[in-house]
Amino acid sequence: MLGGYISDLAAGDVFDPVEYVLTAFMASEYAHGVEESWEGFHSSGAPGGRQMRPPTMIHVDKMRILERNCLREQRVGGAKGPHARIHYEYFARQHSPAYVGERLIVSGRITDKYVKRGRTYIDYYLEVRTADGRLVTTYTDKTLLKYEPEGKASP
Amino acid sequence: MSETRPPRDLAVGAEITGPARRMTAERIEWYDSAMLSAARGELAQVGSNIHTDEAYARSQGLPAVIADGMIMTNWISSMLVEHFGLSYVERSELRTKFIKPVPLGMTVVCRGRVLSVERLSSGAVAWMLDVWCEDERGVKVVDGHARVEVPA
Repeated sequence: MLGGYISDLAAGDVFDPVEYVLTAFMASEYAHGVEESWEGFHSSGAPGGRQMRPPTMIHVDKMRILERNCLREQRVGGAKGPHARIHYEYFARQHSPAYVGERLIVSGRITDKYVKRGRTYIDYYLEVRTADGRLVTTYTDKTLLKYEPEGKASP
Repeated sequence: MSETRPPRDLAVGAEITGPARRMTAERIEWYDSAMLSAARGELAQVGSNIHTDEAYARSQGLPAVIADGMIMTNWISSMLVEHFGLSYVERSELRTKFIKPVPLGMTVVCRGRVLSVERLSSGAVAWMLDVWCEDERGVKVVDGHARVEVPA
C-alpha cells in the first residue's frame, strides 16, 4: 500500500514517479561523501566535458521515490518508521551516464515481498530515464524490513 | 587512471584491489549526510539511525552501530572507476550483497578478480569480474560481481 510506512508496501505497488534536475552539487557532494575523487563526478573537467553523477546514485533515487510514496516514513525529511530497515542487495545496470543539468525521471514498483526465516524482505525495481526518454539506470534492490525475526522482541 | 582506453593488462585471473580503509564514525556520517544532501539538493546532516546512534541500533536488535552497505558498494564502484574510467560510468553493472555487518573499527579492503573477457559483436569488450570486500582476516563482508563494457 502506498502512502504509509515502507513496511506497508506490497508486491505489485507501482510508485508515483519523481522528477528532478541533477545538479552539480548533488553529484559532487555524494562523490565527496564516499571519498570518490574521479574528476568527472566533481566538474566538467571530465572526458566529454560534462559532469556526471556516480552510477551508485541510483540509491539516492530509491530514497527519493520512497519519500514521495511512503508519507509516514520520510527518511530524507528525518521521519523514522516503526523499525529500521537493513539493505541486503544492490544491483544496478548502467545504460548511459546521467549528466548535470539533465531532468531525470525515476519510476518503479515493488516486485516481491516475502518472509524467509521469520524475516520479511521486500524487492524493488526502479529505472531512471532522462526527460527525453534515454535510459540511464535500471536497478533491483532487496531490503530486510526489520532486523529481528518476528516473535523476538526488541530489548 | 583509465579514461576510454581498454585495460589491456586485465586478463582473466587478474586481480584488482582498492585501499585498506578503517570504518569510522566519520566515514559513516560522511556517507549518510552526503546521501541526504544529494536527495534534498542542499547540505543536510544525518540524524539518529542504526548507522549513527548506538542506543537506537541496540533498540532494533543490533549489537552496535553498523556501516551502511552503500559505503562499501561505493568503494567497489571507485575501484572500478579507477580501472575502467568513463567506460564504467557509461555502460556497466554492479551487484553487491551485504553478507556480514561492518562495525566501527573494522578495516575493509575491496578486491576484484577478472572472470572473463569477451569481445562483443559490436566490437566492444566486456569484462566480467567477481568483486568483494573483506575484513582484516580476509573474511568477505560484501560479495558481488561487476560487468564493464569498453567500447571499440
